[in-house]
Amino acid sequence: MEGLLSILRRLKQPPECEVRLLLLGLDNAGKTTLLKQLAAEDISHITPTQGFNIKSVQSSGFKLNVWDIGGQRKIRPYWRNYFENTDVLIYVIDSSDRKRFEETSLELAELLEEEKLAAVPLLVFANKQDLMTASPASELAESLNLHTIRDRMWQVQACSALTAEGVQDGMTWVCRNIKFRKR
Amino acid sequence: MKLKRFFLRYYPPGIILEYEQSGYLRTKSIDLLDLTPECVSLVVSEIKQSEPLITESRAEQVKELVVRLQQKRNQKERHRFCFCKLKAHILPLTNVAFDKSGARFITGSYDRTCRVWDTASGRELHTLEGHRNVVYAIAFNNPYGDKIATGSFDKTCKLWCAETGKCFHTFHGHRAEIVCLAFNPQSTLVATGSMDATAKLWDVESGEEVATLSGHTAEVLSLCFNTVGNHLVTGSFDYTVAIWDVASKRRVHTLTGHMGEISNVQFNWDCSLIVSGSSDKTCKLWEVVSGKCVATLVGHTEEVLDASFDLSGQLIATASADGTAKVFSATTHECLVTMKGHAGEISKICFSPQGSRVLTASFDKTARLWDVQSGECLQVLEGHTDEIFSCAFNYEGDTIITGSKDNTCRIWC
Repeated sequence: MEGLLSILRRLKQPPECEVRLLLLGLDNAGKTTLLKQLAAEDISHITPTQGFNIKSVQSSGFKLNVWDIGGQRKIRPYWRNYFENTDVLIYVIDSSDRKRFEETSLELAELLEEEKLAAVPLLVFANKQDLMTASPASELAESLNLHTIRDRMWQVQACSALTAEGVQDGMTWVCRNIKFRKR
Repeated sequence: MKLKRFFLRYYPPGIILEYEQSGYLRTKSIDLLDLTPECVSLVVSEIKQSEPLITESRAEQVKELVVRLQQKRNQKERHRFCFCKLKAHILPLTNVAFDKSGARFITGSYDRTCRVWDTASGRELHTLEGHRNVVYAIAFNNPYGDKIATGSFDKTCKLWCAETGKCFHTFHGHRAEIVCLAFNPQSTLVATGSMDATAKLWDVESGEEVATLSGHTAEVLSLCFNTVGNHLVTGSFDYTVAIWDVASKRRVHTLTGHMGEISNVQFNWDCSLIVSGSSDKTCKLWEVVSGKCVATLVGHTEEVLDASFDLSGQLIATASADGTAKVFSATTHECLVTMKGHAGEISKICFSPQGSRVLTASFDKTARLWDVQSGECLQVLEGHTDEIFSCAFNYEGDTIITGSKDNTCRIWC
């Protein structure tokens, strides 16, 4: 399942029934919790991701290869290592951390400028909705200027990676838009 | 022809003759790959018969050398490894490699660098920067050790000076990620294998592309020169293995029979056999001259992720996603021993230079050391906090490095 060989296997142009999802966002946005929630794994001991995690999940007849990439500032310049063959970009935001909306908005804007991610559908997870202090998805969409995106399909989805609420809805959107893209 | 002097080579056992011929100093090696304890005089008389340089007057000297090789071979390896040092990259490591003496080693990483380390002090000697994506495949030009080649997901290969860290050449031409590479033994060529389904040969001196070896229909995942340097073998995701003649750049044989992707290919020391590991759960042994499959090594219940000869070419070790490793005889093709203990798939396996121990790297965050005879686990190297991607012995067999997804490499000595 893991090891360098499987990493190379995942570099290949994926077959029709496999898709590559790239999970990005600032540190502490909840990407790894989301990944583990998707894979139905224990989420009680999650530490900051120093590199990356990969998991494969089945959904709507697809094999989703999900790449969760560490979000700390010093390793963000390396996000580009992982852009190749991305089918859907999933951008995760800590909706309770208003102080960092500007930072996360800038990082997202840069991603959308990337040639290798051109026209790749974008799902924004407004995560941590279980917290009282979380901004609603609509407010977040506004502060990130999502409505100005014209060059790709996009969606903002409120969720809690902790309770799993909203996660499935987001993935349903992902699968619908893969079909759209792949065919 | 005049014999000037002898050199001993411990791993694999051999005697190197330095001699003068028409004014030039030349060397040739007498390989003693199957040296057993009881056969000294037999070995010496065989050498005398087949090697004109060894005259009666030299026989006593040769006998002493053979005895020394045997003593080295019979030395019990009791060394227990202790964790010495931890060295970090910013992102996960890919591969690790020692130079010939083991004084330095290199690590490749997702942080787009290759780092050169001093083994004894753990000091970082150089950071080789310039690649624009993951540095995946790395190699020293052993036995010289004065150059380093790095292959990257940025589709280029770079050649560096090992002493200064300066980049000599950047090899452009592959249309996809470079995932394997090797120097030829003369250190005049670098071979690279790519996800673009080709392998390429590059001239070390000029930096020019020498040849594109095309014919595979899928990614080229591994390659290996033979000891002489006249043949290259490539293994591909297209389920086949190909043998190439380096001088003519032509394909000599296509080895078909595997029912799955090829994970690794390797020549044995005397260049007569090739071993291939496959996701079809088997390894195959191929005769180089005929291109025929001489054995299929079965027993693993999941994909074979790595396969390796010992230095003398007598044994083959295999690592599998089923969490076990096996050792097979290269002559009888029997499975001699199965090594059980890892709690996850084993992605890398290698023999100690002496051939008496095997080292495995696993998804379970440990590396393990095994006794080849008994299959017993001698040591569990614990400490990495994520899966181990790569491992290597130095030439003496008394130092190990492991590279992990946890962004660190560990030195064990």
